[in-house]
Amino acid sequence: MNTRVILSIILISFGSIAAILPKQKTSSVQLDADDLLREIRLETNLVSTDELADLLINLDPGLLLIDVRDSLSYSKYHLPGAINIPLNQLLDEKWMPYIDQISKNNIFYSNGTTLSSEAWIVTRQLGYKNNYVLYGGLNSWFETIIQPNLPGAMATSEEINRFNKRKAASMYFTGSSGASDMNSAPALPPVPRKKKKRVAGGCS
Amino acid sequence: MNPYLAGILLGFVLLASFYLTGRGLGASGATRSVVIGAVTTITPEHAENSGYFSKYLGDNQMKTWLVLEIAGVIIGGFLSGAWAGRLKMRVEHSPGISKRKRIYMASLGGLLFGFGSQLGRGCTSGAALTGMSVMSLAGFVTMMAIFGTAFVLAYFFRKNWI
Amino acid sequence: MGPLVPLQNISNELNLLIAFVIGLGFGIALEQAGFSSSRKLAGMFYGYDTTVLKVFFTAAITAMLGLIFLNFTGLIDLDIVYVNEYYVYSAIIGGIIMGAGFIIGGFCPGTSFTAAAIGKIDAMWFILGSMIGIFIFGETFVFWKDLYMSGYKGAVKISDLLGIRDGYFALALILVATLMFWVAEMAEKKFKREDITKEI
Repeated sequence: MNTRVILSIILISFGSIAAILPKQKTSSVQLDADDLLREIRLETNLVSTDELADLLINLDPGLLLIDVRDSLSYSKYHLPGAINIPLNQLLDEKWMPYIDQISKNNIFYSNGTTLSSEAWIVTRQLGYKNNYVLYGGLNSWFETIIQPNLPGAMATSEEINRFNKRKAASMYFTGSSGASDMNSAPALPPVPRKKKKRVAGGCS
Repeated sequence: MNPYLAGILLGFVLLASFYLTGRGLGASGATRSVVIGAVTTITPEHAENSGYFSKYLGDNQMKTWLVLEIAGVIIGGFLSGAWAGRLKMRVEHSPGISKRKRIYMASLGGLLFGFGSQLGRGCTSGAALTGMSVMSLAGFVTMMAIFGTAFVLAYFFRKNWI
Repeated sequence: MGPLVPLQNISNELNLLIAFVIGLGFGIALEQAGFSSSRKLAGMFYGYDTTVLKVFFTAAITAMLGLIFLNFTGLIDLDIVYVNEYYVYSAIIGGIIMGAGFIIGGFCPGTSFTAAAIGKIDAMWFILGSMIGIFIFGETFVFWKDLYMSGYKGAVKISDLLGIRDGYFALALILVATLMFWVAEMAEKKFKREDITKEI
């Protein structure tokens, strides 16, 4: 058997295997399970309600709140300036510019921490950065900021300070200046993340 | 070496190039870098004013990927030729034509190829070979144009070769 | 995961070194295939030597299959790998001119360097001619600019254009190439020119 025949057989075999292979959407920026677990355990993606209150009061320009509950819950009440991306629509094309970008910090929130954590895990695994989770969600928001618990008699000065801050925040959010922003949503989508660049090549 | 084997070897070099650097092979770009380097050295302003060359100006014309690659090609070719005992300074031509005519033909062919490679954005290595392996339409079309034209014109130049 | 240079932030110097080493491999493969001989290259168009076809298609198919398998095993990100951009008129007209250059000169830029490296003087003249050709193109660019820039279709892949999987196209190409190998061997027997093939 000469080379040509052997080669043809080899090539056709490999070619047939190749033809069966599915198209792989390899993304070099995706995280693998180890990295993802490590990040989850570090809890660097969590934002406390106090931190969020600070960001909102200071009108932090890099902040974008994303409500991942269904639209009915959103329309009944949502945090000031938040947009609504129900969890089941998270990966829709139209939301890509919001979740896959590098200019704003997105904070996912829901009633508790479950839905927002789920949103975070999905987007983080895809390699998207700048996404965070509001720890405790709206439930915690109400308990700590809107109606903070009075510190007991044995409270430390730190606890008293924190209570005062929260009380002030509560007034801010339920007072006149807070309420007017309640149902407005940001107009422009943020700058999308720079896409993977193709290498220059050919005879150039 | 058996042509099929050489083809597999070349294929692996090409694959290595893709895996390591994300780009394929090329040749005409290196020649262009040399031309631009020469023009820049002689008359820098002219290169800047030129609509075409100005696109490729950089700090060092010769420090490009393709120039380094062609340097490797030259040395690799030399080593392979030396090992196979094929080193010899000569003008290779068909017995039917003179050495002088062969040199004219080679120069004219080079001129056409140089011009064509710039217009065609690549040559057989860069556009056709590399292009085919990534399944680019441009590579395919360029390859068909090159080989198709050569086949069609072959009849008219047969005296030069056969 | 590959490609390494863009994804692992490899320095430019190392990238250039890799270019050199790849060039070495390229030059060795070309010379070993016998492409440092213009008569062997031109033989493709007269039937007495179809090495060009065999080497070219084998190489393209090997690399193509390699890319598909590397992509499947997650070792390479195909979105980053360079795909030639398609400018309709550039590709066709440039290709025609290059075809003429090929049959007249008997070389293409890559093989001309390999041939010059082993001492072929006609290859050296080819290189000189190509430099002049490039210079002429640059000088007269103003006439060609519109043609050069027109018909931009982007980095189109054939498999995307036809809407088929990469693997299917690879298999189709392999079958076509196998057919061509058979035809080539028959042509070599029919258009045999012992006097030339003995020399080159």
